[in-house]
Amino acid sequence: MADRNGSVYGLTILSPILEDTKAQVCHSVALRRHLAGLPRNESGPFAKIEGTHMCRLVVMDDVFYPGFPSKVEHLKSSYLFFEANFDGDRDLYLKRMARTAPAHVDEIWRHCVGFPGTKDVAAFIAYMKKCQITTTFYFADVNDKSVTDTLRALQVQAALAAFIERHQGRSPAGLKQSFARFWEQLRSAPRPTPGARETTTLPCFAGEPPSRIAEVTEAVNEGGK
Amino acid sequence: MSQLNASDIQGFVLRGYTFPVARFLFLEISEHAAGRKLIESLVDEVTTGERWDKKPDSTLNIAFTYQGLVRLKLPDAALMSFPVEFFQGMKARREILCDVERNAPEHWDPIWREGRVHIWLGVYAQSPAILEDRCRNLQQRITATGGAAIVGTQDAAALVIDGKVTSKEHFGYTDGFGNPDYQGVERNSQPGQGKLMPDGSWAPLETGELLLGYPDEGGELPVAPVPHVLAINGTFMVYRKLHQNVATFRRYLKEKSQLYSGGEEKLAAKFVGRWRDGTPLELSPDRPDPAIVKDNQRNVNFTFGKDLAGTRCPIGAHVRRTNPRDAFGFNGNLVNRRRITRRGLPYGTFTPWDQPGADDGEHGVVFMVLNASIFRQFEFVQQQWVEYGNDARQGNDKDLLLGNHGGRGKVMIQGTEDPNNPPFLCGGLPNFVELRGGDYFFMPGITALRLIAAGGIDPR
Repeated sequence: MADRNGSVYGLTILSPILEDTKAQVCHSVALRRHLAGLPRNESGPFAKIEGTHMCRLVVMDDVFYPGFPSKVEHLKSSYLFFEANFDGDRDLYLKRMARTAPAHVDEIWRHCVGFPGTKDVAAFIAYMKKCQITTTFYFADVNDKSVTDTLRALQVQAALAAFIERHQGRSPAGLKQSFARFWEQLRSAPRPTPGARETTTLPCFAGEPPSRIAEVTEAVNEGGK
Repeated sequence: MSQLNASDIQGFVLRGYTFPVARFLFLEISEHAAGRKLIESLVDEVTTGERWDKKPDSTLNIAFTYQGLVRLKLPDAALMSFPVEFFQGMKARREILCDVERNAPEHWDPIWREGRVHIWLGVYAQSPAILEDRCRNLQQRITATGGAAIVGTQDAAALVIDGKVTSKEHFGYTDGFGNPDYQGVERNSQPGQGKLMPDGSWAPLETGELLLGYPDEGGELPVAPVPHVLAINGTFMVYRKLHQNVATFRRYLKEKSQLYSGGEEKLAAKFVGRWRDGTPLELSPDRPDPAIVKDNQRNVNFTFGKDLAGTRCPIGAHVRRTNPRDAFGFNGNLVNRRRITRRGLPYGTFTPWDQPGADDGEHGVVFMVLNASIFRQFEFVQQQWVEYGNDARQGNDKDLLLGNHGGRGKVMIQGTEDPNNPPFLCGGLPNFVELRGGDYFFMPGITALRLIAAGGIDPR
């Protein structure tokens, strides 16, 4: 199935953009302006939709043929191109889009032909499915791990690195004790939320920079007791 | 391919001179006519790549920034055909290169912030007295033509340690191993220096990885300016003045080695992938071996394919990051278009081993890179392999020695259950090396240089 690669779904939507010759600013220009103003980092509206690995919005005015001999071709209208790679099921994701970011979705797709709005979720899902085309290539960044798993793995990696840095060189007994405490904290640590930039700092690593010789020596002595 | 025409290639491109002292003169061209006259007066003494029957007392080479070529009034068609990174210059490329924060232009020497450098003159000599003589003579002629003003100089010299001239840098590592071999360059090839072949032997890289006008490893001619005669036998040079924080390095190494059961020297070796005497960790993981260092058949002849876990040479060690050889699989083919030729010489005096050293003051390495494509070769290595770790599966970790860590860096040193080779995490990494400026230069072939001097580049 070309829309799915492992557990990741690749959703490609092409929505025709409205043509309104009477409008003061044409829809494709207005849409481009709006998209240009959206944040592209973790505070972007789509970053908060659960399961999103990445997404991209592009206004496509027309096509061009770069080969030889040159050929002039045109699309029937200009299109909004939307690509999202996410975990799990398409319909569930579309539902989340409508529920998590309705204002943003409406503001973007109101420039498109036949857009029913997000209020009627079933109609929204039906509309998006009608605009869908098959995805064949993916941004190969995720190794078939979900967003939650990836963020959790980064959290564990960062926490473990900090733990090692702070405790390497300690006696086995002290190390075991500290690791048990660390493990408990790590297990119960709040999971990073989608769109989070920093992985959570565990309470035992907050504040002081780790691995100062004096501290470690002290800790080694403590552990040896 | 047959032998290159070494008399048309600047000697600096084809060989490391191994002279003990050097001075780099930075010139600002006054205007095109006088500037061209100056170049014309220098052309005949530019050191070429021809074989030396007897080693000369000194050498002279020349290279230009883009602004220098503009000032010399190269035809617009030629100027507009240079690659964009050379047109922009190194300062404009700072985000790509991670030359930010402590490496940002505001910390550079004024000369590199002002953008006044048009010409790089490199003078190498057998002794300080010869260097002074040659530079005095050059200076007089530069003044006499009125073609340019010397806006800065940089002295560099092999470090003298315990009264001996060495090939060490300020952190105590022996430097200067392993420049690549190229097709057609007359040189005593060493196994380990070119590209890895399927049968495990080494072959020279295609000439076009170093020189413009020849096929490269992709089987095409590198992106080069027009007309062809301007490009052929030329190359691009990256000049970077790398300051070394000697005190920070020594303190950090000492502090961490108290926790590292392999000992201080081994930890120092793990940082770089070579013991400080130059022995590759991959060949001798437990101790330095002077016999290997002296043996040209062995001192760069190693691969990482059997050490993918990094327990001999850490995955994040400097030599492994900057030349991963076969570490990324595909029999090493992924690195063949990312190789750079390095020319470097320290500046400043060595701090005796028993002293803590200082971070301030003038000590570091003048680091120069020669490559056909600054974008594809130097910038890629700097961005992806020095300042990022994804290719090596090291996440955001940077090159331990060169990385712009800002005090927040970490690098994992892989190990085994052997207490003398434990895994170890180097955290809280500071910047051991900081950038003090530099730029991108074009180093033309001799014919091209004569045409530039004559104003004879075809205007199209």
